[in-house]
Amino acid sequence: MVTLGDYLIVSGILFAIGFAGVMLRRNLIVILMSLELMLNAANLSLVAFSRFRLQPSGLPDYNAQIFVFFIITVAAAEVALGLAILVALFRARQTTDVKDITQLRF
Amino acid sequence: MITAPQLEIAVLLLGMAILMFEAFATRVDKRVLAFAAIVGLALILIASFFVSPTPSPDRATGLWNFYTADKLSVFFKQFALLTTIFVLIMMIDYAPVVRASFPGTTDGLGEFFSVPIFTCVGLMYLVSAVDFIFIFVSLELVTVSFYVLVSFTRKNPVTLEAGVKYLVLSALSTAFLVYGIAWIFGATGQTNLQRITEALANPNTDHSAALLGVVLVLVALGFKIAAVPFQIWVPDVYQGAPTPVTAYLSVGSKAAGFVVLLRVLRPFVTLPQMQRLLVLIALLTLIYGNLAALPQGNLKRLLAYSSIAHSGYLLIGVVCLDGNAVVFYLAAYFLMTLLSFAVLVIVAQQTGEQISDFDGLAKRSPFLAFAMLIGMVSLAGVPFTAGFLGKFFIFYAAILQRQIALVVIGVITVGCGFYYYLKVVRAMYWQPANKAEDIPISGLSRLAISALIAATIWLGVYPQPILNMLKR
Repeated sequence: MVTLGDYLIVSGILFAIGFAGVMLRRNLIVILMSLELMLNAANLSLVAFSRFRLQPSGLPDYNAQIFVFFIITVAAAEVALGLAILVALFRARQTTDVKDITQLRF
Repeated sequence: MITAPQLEIAVLLLGMAILMFEAFATRVDKRVLAFAAIVGLALILIASFFVSPTPSPDRATGLWNFYTADKLSVFFKQFALLTTIFVLIMMIDYAPVVRASFPGTTDGLGEFFSVPIFTCVGLMYLVSAVDFIFIFVSLELVTVSFYVLVSFTRKNPVTLEAGVKYLVLSALSTAFLVYGIAWIFGATGQTNLQRITEALANPNTDHSAALLGVVLVLVALGFKIAAVPFQIWVPDVYQGAPTPVTAYLSVGSKAAGFVVLLRVLRPFVTLPQMQRLLVLIALLTLIYGNLAALPQGNLKRLLAYSSIAHSGYLLIGVVCLDGNAVVFYLAAYFLMTLLSFAVLVIVAQQTGEQISDFDGLAKRSPFLAFAMLIGMVSLAGVPFTAGFLGKFFIFYAAILQRQIALVVIGVITVGCGFYYYLKVVRAMYWQPANKAEDIPISGLSRLAISALIAATIWLGVYPQPILNMLKR
């Protein structure tokens, strides 16, 4: 039997992998993918919380599942814009490496 | 009778109409769109004064589950509309720079003028949101439209770099927000703030899970309001973004962040750890913002650090949970920041953004120099300006709450602020000018700047109208 704790551990691991990816990787496309992973970790825990919090009627609490749809939609919009900015960056600099975009500094 | 949700719908329709008109009217001077947007927003602003505040009832249904129209939210809807109007006025002045970054075409200007209207809708929804789902969606509407605006002049590599940094760090903060909301939902089973308060009062609720959730949400809001240690993006993005967008970020985005922070923290203040955490963040923000501003030579970057420092003062108000002090400070901050940026937009096109580019401005344009002087002394907190009274109310609230550490550090950092703000004043009034010719100002900007100067001084001498508005 898979418990709520198992889902939460998996989602915690996903969130940690995503966060590590954002912090450690140098390629902007990989960073965007890691950001998506973090959002999906949140989606997984929302769905798990929803599934394991049964209403008196025996149905799951659907509020959280509706929220997941909102997150998926917003994430899609974010990625669309993010990739557009990356394309513009690649045209201007021929790079997607964060090491090369350091003109603004203290 | 006008109801509050109609305001947002009107702004949304205005934005769509202008975007559609932009798409089909290829031969029109695109600045007409900006004037249309300003007039439309001004009409909606007037209409907003006829909205009677109606907080959602305790057992709300339908839209009122997510949305409240209390007096705080109506005040900040007007705040968002006014900010957008002033930003659009700055954008008209900034239009030649945008046009230069799209050589050979008039493309781009129409979007530059219409995207801020959608940001405005997001800000207006955000200040009314009382449900985490609604907070998330409206916050993302604001953030996503800022992605477009920050990297708008994309032929300029510095702007593009600012856009990429803003994109990655904002998306990161969004991920924290969503994960935090998930844990709060897990602990309480609710997304509505009112019902979360009720659930937290129940001893069976898992308080440690709720605390984890609210700390994650605090990380995300820390990004929006530029609190240390989540301020890393601020100087780079503020410096690289088009100047009107920087003004919009530092006023609109920050004000909305603080309103959400006040609303979100209310259910959680009963958790004892929250207060200590907030005091620590406020102290770090005050110290970092003011110290890092000291050596800056670029005025835009200086204003970025100053915006971090002002977040510190605002956080003192948040720690004391004094909503009125925070709101008054935000109103003062709105006036003086927009004033400084309005002058910066005009002067930077003639000379540059460095403080040394302001040398001798008093000889070249006494009006602009005086406007900048009022902006700077108000930011520093000289008496008889709005900035002074804002700081006064914040420190007064802190003394009443016996937050001695915050008051001491706050007063010391105010002294520190005098140094770097008056550096700009010194350049304008005591340095010889590099160039002799006058700086042209359009009539609309002159009107806007005069209004901001008058309001800054008026609020510093006679703050009663705003205070009455908040007490009512």
